[in-house]
Amino acid sequence: MAPLKHLEMENPIIDACFRDFCSSHGILTVEDFLLHDIYELAALAERQENADRLKEGITVMLSLIEVKCRPWLNGMELLEDMQRSKHTLSSGDKETDSLLQGGLREGQLTELVGPSSSGKTQFCMQAAASVAEKQDGSVFYIDTGNSFSARRIAQFICGSSDAAALRKRVLSRISCHTVYDIYTMFDTLQGLEVALRSQVQKNVNEYRLRLLIVDSISSLITPILGGSGSQGRALMVALGYLLKKLAHEHNIAILVTNHTVGAGESGKTKPALGETWKSIPHVRLMLSRDNRNSNCTISILKHTSMPSGQTVKTTMTRNDNQQYL
Amino acid sequence: METSRLPLSSSIRGKLISAGYTSLSSISSVSSTDLARDVNITESEAFEILKMANQVTCSGSSSLINGAKNAWDMLNEEEALPHITTSCSDLDKILGGGISCSDVTEIGGVPGIGKTQIGIQLSVNVQIPREFGGLGGKAIYIDTEGSFMVERALQIAEACVEDMEEYTGYMHKHFKASQVQMKPKDILENIFYFRVCSYTEQIALVNHLDKFISENKDVKVVIVDSITFHFRQDFDDLAQRTRVLSEMALKFMKLAKKFSLAVVLLNQVTTKYTEGSFQLALALGDSWSHSCTNRVILYWNGDERYAYIDKSPSLPSASASYTVTSRGLRNSSSSSKRVKMM
Repeated sequence: MAPLKHLEMENPIIDACFRDFCSSHGILTVEDFLLHDIYELAALAERQENADRLKEGITVMLSLIEVKCRPWLNGMELLEDMQRSKHTLSSGDKETDSLLQGGLREGQLTELVGPSSSGKTQFCMQAAASVAEKQDGSVFYIDTGNSFSARRIAQFICGSSDAAALRKRVLSRISCHTVYDIYTMFDTLQGLEVALRSQVQKNVNEYRLRLLIVDSISSLITPILGGSGSQGRALMVALGYLLKKLAHEHNIAILVTNHTVGAGESGKTKPALGETWKSIPHVRLMLSRDNRNSNCTISILKHTSMPSGQTVKTTMTRNDNQQYL
Repeated sequence: METSRLPLSSSIRGKLISAGYTSLSSISSVSSTDLARDVNITESEAFEILKMANQVTCSGSSSLINGAKNAWDMLNEEEALPHITTSCSDLDKILGGGISCSDVTEIGGVPGIGKTQIGIQLSVNVQIPREFGGLGGKAIYIDTEGSFMVERALQIAEACVEDMEEYTGYMHKHFKASQVQMKPKDILENIFYFRVCSYTEQIALVNHLDKFISENKDVKVVIVDSITFHFRQDFDDLAQRTRVLSEMALKFMKLAKKFSLAVVLLNQVTTKYTEGSFQLALALGDSWSHSCTNRVILYWNGDERYAYIDKSPSLPSASASYTVTSRGLRNSSSSSKRVKMM
């Protein structure tokens, strides 16, 4: 948050005298000012010699803050915004796209749940290849399990002519970052936020970041979740909201993967990370693979605009384009 | 990001924080003159701080943030990545050339199927010199069960050296090739063996490995035989076990990537109740099954041993047969045509 001093340029009332008064109450930035009890501050200002001037300063501050508050949007504007800047990205798989009415939506957090070896990572890599190839966007892939395989992604690129040049162009739009604990994860995302913001300022528009993949988010959270303290849970929720904020502000589609845990003795499974996490993703998809053949079933567990429970069968062929192997 | 992350002296850091510059974004928006006046430091110091803050927040132009690599570079790296042969060509074939470096591979199966044999074989094979198509590395063998047999390792090492000599003999007829310098006892010397007797020791060792490998850079494989043993007993709180194990898994991942070495975790089997019947599955539960990059399951098919790739991000599911001979792991005698793609 900006220090109060920055406001002096345009508002001479916030001078050194006013700032001294504020800093004597521990207020150094605009953020501190917001958090402080304004009535208490006004009451304290009464007792000072230059009470009027100080009170005027407080009023100016409050009006400045009011201007900065986010404007409201009506439904039409929201709809326009959605149609203009929140597109759907193809996941690279026809059946899934038709199930989701177009694919992964920008600005939303989509979660992919499934047991081990059900094709979550394959889905992620296919989506990365598809977005980088067909939507001219760049993809940021956060890998926690060393499972990112550029060779496998190259196999998903389906362009026909001039394969080598296309592969190079598509692959160089995908960047991968390995993260092994949740604290590094926060650093990475905050760094990403700063980078994106500076890109907006510089108007860098070539290959905007359109898809952020976290494979898998559950392996970062599992080591800290549970036990006696609630810190792990707080970190988990903070991570969820940071991801959603990124998605909303920069119109990125976010895809995260989660694993399953056994639920009771019946041999059934349910998504890991518990009830608190359940409310975070916009869309929740369940993947399951038949062991006898390589058919995948994708079903909607939760969706903001579609009924849940729909399923689709897809052949998540592990052997796509065998010639590269 | 917070100011406290910048490599500054504590006095300057204190001044910055008490002047209200707690986050990096607040620093990056001021000029060095303003910063110097606010914080009461010299302008050159302020300039240095700004430079540092900019380095941390804005990285190079090619990638969005520090440490990220683009997939094209990674493709080239992946292709250059060495594989450790298993001495069984069928198995190598389905593994894409052998156990892949910078991955965590889990191998599990019923008792007596040959998990420890694979472990010993890999710790010998990793030392095959580069001239013979190997890695010329060293091995770390973490033994939790007490099943490592040094005589067996010697036997396999002798067989390995003999094979290399035979190979040079063949090469000598056709080309000029170097002599085998390696002796079986050199191979034994280059296996670092750790005996772990409780799960606390195991956790401590995994934490120590980072330092140990930084000092012994040519370690190319870490074998844990088995990851499971201490975690299947002494644990009342299963939630805690999941936490400890998943943290350990992330540490192995980090090691594998950082030093570009192969981590091989051997696992036991357990019965699992699914869809109305009990079936064999690898131990340690569902959460653990996500913590390895590749997963290979060993099983009996009649009286032949088979390996099946259960999980891999880049390899197709496939199975292959193998045998355990006195010389180590070899192709199944009955056929070499049994590579079955699924």
